[in-house]
Amino acid sequence: MNPNDQAPSGSEVSSQETAKVAPETTESGPSYLTVTKTFASWALTLDHKRIGLMYLVGVLGMFFLGGVFALLVRTELFSPMPLITPLFAADPGAQADLYNQWFTTHGAIMVFLVIIPGVPAALGNFVLPLLLGAKDVAFPRLNLSSFYLWICGAAFFIYVLFSGGVDTGWTFYTPYSTDTSTAVIPAVVGVFILGFSSIFTGLNFIVTIHKMRPKGMTWFNMPLFLWGTYSTAVIQVLATPVLGITLLLLILERTLGIGIFDPQNGGDPVLYQHFFWFYSHPAVYIMIIPAMGVISEIISVHSHKRIFGYRYIGYSSVAIAIFSFIVWGHHMFTSGQSTVMNIIFSGITFSVGIPSAIKVFNWIATMYKGSLTLNTTMLYGIAFIFLFTIGGLTGLFLGVLSIDTHLHDTYFVVAHFHYVMMGSALIAFIGGLHHWWPKMTGKMFSEFWGKIACTLVFIGFNLTFIPQFVMGSLGMPRRYYTYQDKFEIYHQLSTVGAYVMAVGFFMTAFYLLQSLASGKKAPSNPWGGNSLEWHTPSPPPLENFHGVPSATDPYELDHFDYDPVTGNYSSRTTAGSA
Amino acid sequence: MMHFFNPLLSHWATQTGPSFWLPAPVSNFADTVDGDFYFVYWVSIFFLVLITALLVIFMMKFKAPEGQKATSQNDHNLILEVAWTGIPVILSFMMFWYGYKGYVAMATAPSNAMTVTAEASRWLWNFTYPTNGAVVPGASEDFNEIRMGVRDGSLTPEAAAEREAKVLEKAGLHVPVNTPVKIKVMASDVLHSLFIPAFRVKKDCVPGRIGELWFEATEPGVYDLLCTEYCGQGHSLMHSKVVVHESQESFEKWLEVAASYDETLPFEQLGEIVWKRKGCVSCHSLDGSNKVGPTWQGAFGSLRQYTENGVAGSTTVDEAYIEESIRYPMKKIADGYPGQMPVVKLTDKEILWVTEFIKSLGK
Ligand code: HEM
Ligand SMILES: [Cu+2]
Repeated sequence: MNPNDQAPSGSEVSSQETAKVAPETTESGPSYLTVTKTFASWALTLDHKRIGLMYLVGVLGMFFLGGVFALLVRTELFSPMPLITPLFAADPGAQADLYNQWFTTHGAIMVFLVIIPGVPAALGNFVLPLLLGAKDVAFPRLNLSSFYLWICGAAFFIYVLFSGGVDTGWTFYTPYSTDTSTAVIPAVVGVFILGFSSIFTGLNFIVTIHKMRPKGMTWFNMPLFLWGTYSTAVIQVLATPVLGITLLLLILERTLGIGIFDPQNGGDPVLYQHFFWFYSHPAVYIMIIPAMGVISEIISVHSHKRIFGYRYIGYSSVAIAIFSFIVWGHHMFTSGQSTVMNIIFSGITFSVGIPSAIKVFNWIATMYKGSLTLNTTMLYGIAFIFLFTIGGLTGLFLGVLSIDTHLHDTYFVVAHFHYVMMGSALIAFIGGLHHWWPKMTGKMFSEFWGKIACTLVFIGFNLTFIPQFVMGSLGMPRRYYTYQDKFEIYHQLSTVGAYVMAVGFFMTAFYLLQSLASGKKAPSNPWGGNSLEWHTPSPPPLENFHGVPSATDPYELDHFDYDPVTGNYSSRTTAGSA
Repeated sequence: MMHFFNPLLSHWATQTGPSFWLPAPVSNFADTVDGDFYFVYWVSIFFLVLITALLVIFMMKFKAPEGQKATSQNDHNLILEVAWTGIPVILSFMMFWYGYKGYVAMATAPSNAMTVTAEASRWLWNFTYPTNGAVVPGASEDFNEIRMGVRDGSLTPEAAAEREAKVLEKAGLHVPVNTPVKIKVMASDVLHSLFIPAFRVKKDCVPGRIGELWFEATEPGVYDLLCTEYCGQGHSLMHSKVVVHESQESFEKWLEVAASYDETLPFEQLGEIVWKRKGCVSCHSLDGSNKVGPTWQGAFGSLRQYTENGVAGSTTVDEAYIEESIRYPMKKIADGYPGQMPVVKLTDKEILWVTEFIKSLGK
């Protein structure tokens, strides 16, 4: 029957009076954090919550490392003259090489180690079984192995840092990547391993969502976060192998000179670009779709109102996932790809924009006549809508063939993808982190510092990237170590923005850590959400629920009473029976 | 089908200097690209303002203390869904359509276009003019020096301009105004990309493939030419200039000067320039490998078996044999080669220099 039936039952649950509302649980017994304490009990855990938490620590650590490289890059670009590279290298050529390694390292870490695993592996691992009322994911061992693969991939990246770096850009374009003397192979092996980590997580989630939904939860009353992680998991499983094969070919090309991509051996460099983007375009949706799922939860819960257009949001995730496989050629409009191909890819590219627009409008409609709690989490949700709008709209410029001919490989593209990857995917990740922080840690963080930090990140972000749109369309190419004086002012604004953002992130790190030490104890339902994770104590017990929960309507949010003393939302319908 | 919109688009684009968003429009494509840009721009501004306004208004209007109930739980409205699906569909189709129109024009060069080749390698450009085979360097190093000089104060702006003009006498991509020009782009090592922001054109230089872009410059002047595909250490230094001449005559005059030789150089060096410029390079190697024709390495003084009018003969390669082979390539066909050498018109001096160059390559 239902796998949840094996869950050890704490307080026996009286069968549900209303099918829609889950039973409240009593807060007793140890949580998943305290149930065992040894190192091995963490390192060898099969508990999805602990694995999620370990992922979270790892991802945030890598976010810090990637951020350091971002600041190095931005600091260097404060002036067109060598500024900080001379501190590390004497020869001007070596200084340029160093800069090239910095932006490559920044991009590769952020894409492969932070944003791709961020929402699905860190937040998703923690939340997904809870949302399903399940005890764990379908394959807990596979889950743990995907975490260790991530660690292994990260180790390769660290090794690259200490073995002379890599300077190809995160895209590893041939023939440069077969030609450069830097550590391409370890970096590529790292990405290859991370790919498997991603595939394992995807497989696990697909099976879990198919098989472990609780009684009464159909596809159309799943929380939208599950639609997002499901669509993402499908892309992960289908697209990532292509990246794996491409990277293997690249390694063979470098070691054996087999001549798939290198024209000197009869290969075709453009073929590499096709292979790479056949994965990497879907991969950008691996980053954004689960982020959109997070936003659907945040906006609805903190507006205390039903999500607007549930089916449209759900279907649009699936539509984006499908379309994402057939637009890769829009990264190659100037590569010499045939005119007809360019026209087809341009046309299909616009079809991805539409489901994105649908989502934005539905989120805004959700806020209409809601009861908006403007806490830190909600501010991140609203910031996401604004930033994603800019990211999506600037994607339209790039999809237009005539305009992209001018904008391709300029800072305009850099700004575009930062709006969608950082301004959207990462902001949603941070927003989700705040949303589920009380559930994960059992502690409330400081809303005061939270709002200040969020504001700083928001201002800093826009200050960093709006000037990049302007200089890009004025003709500033990307991946430039030095530049013409006329772009200096834009670069300087951008660098200042990056520092403002950094202050915001450090502040976030401090108040979150501080909440662990001295935060107020979190109630089981601090925001008034009705998906199942809010129906168990914060932090949850090892087996997630005391008893077997049955499906709720995740967006029925108006039957709660708020208790200002405990900060808890308790549902009126079951209050009596508990 | 959507032509009625075009007057509106070109109205936004009719301006000459650089704007806040775009560099000065100086080619036949600039108006179209800028028109498309501003169409998407205003649509985007409209939606951004709309969405931001809604967010801000809702934040102010529906802000509520913790625990307050929402006044509505309405969660669907078919008309709204249709509207905010349909309107973006129509607008994005228009965007696609304009982009497609503009792009097709950029992708098809007129048949009467003048052809120049641009060859990229780490980290320099070379431009070749087929009318007289002149190979003109991109002179990136000079332009970077000038830029640095202005920055550290060692060059006044006037001195910099003077120096740039001097460099441009024998460097850069030169084209006449209002003339269709086709650039064949190629790369000899890794990927590069040729980008001229003022013309709104860009094409990747892919090793092993010949790419093409074209334009018609509309305003005499000097414009930036940049590399936009990451190519390693010197990527940001691969910077040259496009010079648009105010007339065909002035362009041709420049080409003549650029194609002339610096006769203060030693003969061997001049011979090497001829070897490259006149295309000997494509069939005669300097490293001992035989291509379509025999290598020049160690050729001078060696014994050559040949066939003349069907009769076999042999000779040592000397000055007379070299001159004869250049002037009458099909007279004596060296054994083992297909006999495909074309008549390349060289001046007497050029023949002399080439001969000295071959001599310098050892016996
Ligand atoms: C509304 C939807 C979007 C459209 C129409 C769109 C369109 C485009 C186009 C045409 C390019 C190629 C530009 C060029 O290289 O010249 C591009 C680049 C890119 N986009 Fe988007 N995009 C959209 C949304 C997104 C999202 C949601 C993400 C990620 C979360 C994303 C990430 C990227 C990245 C990473 C690149 C460039 C990668 C690189 O060259 O290094 N885009 N986009
Ligand atoms: Cu893409």
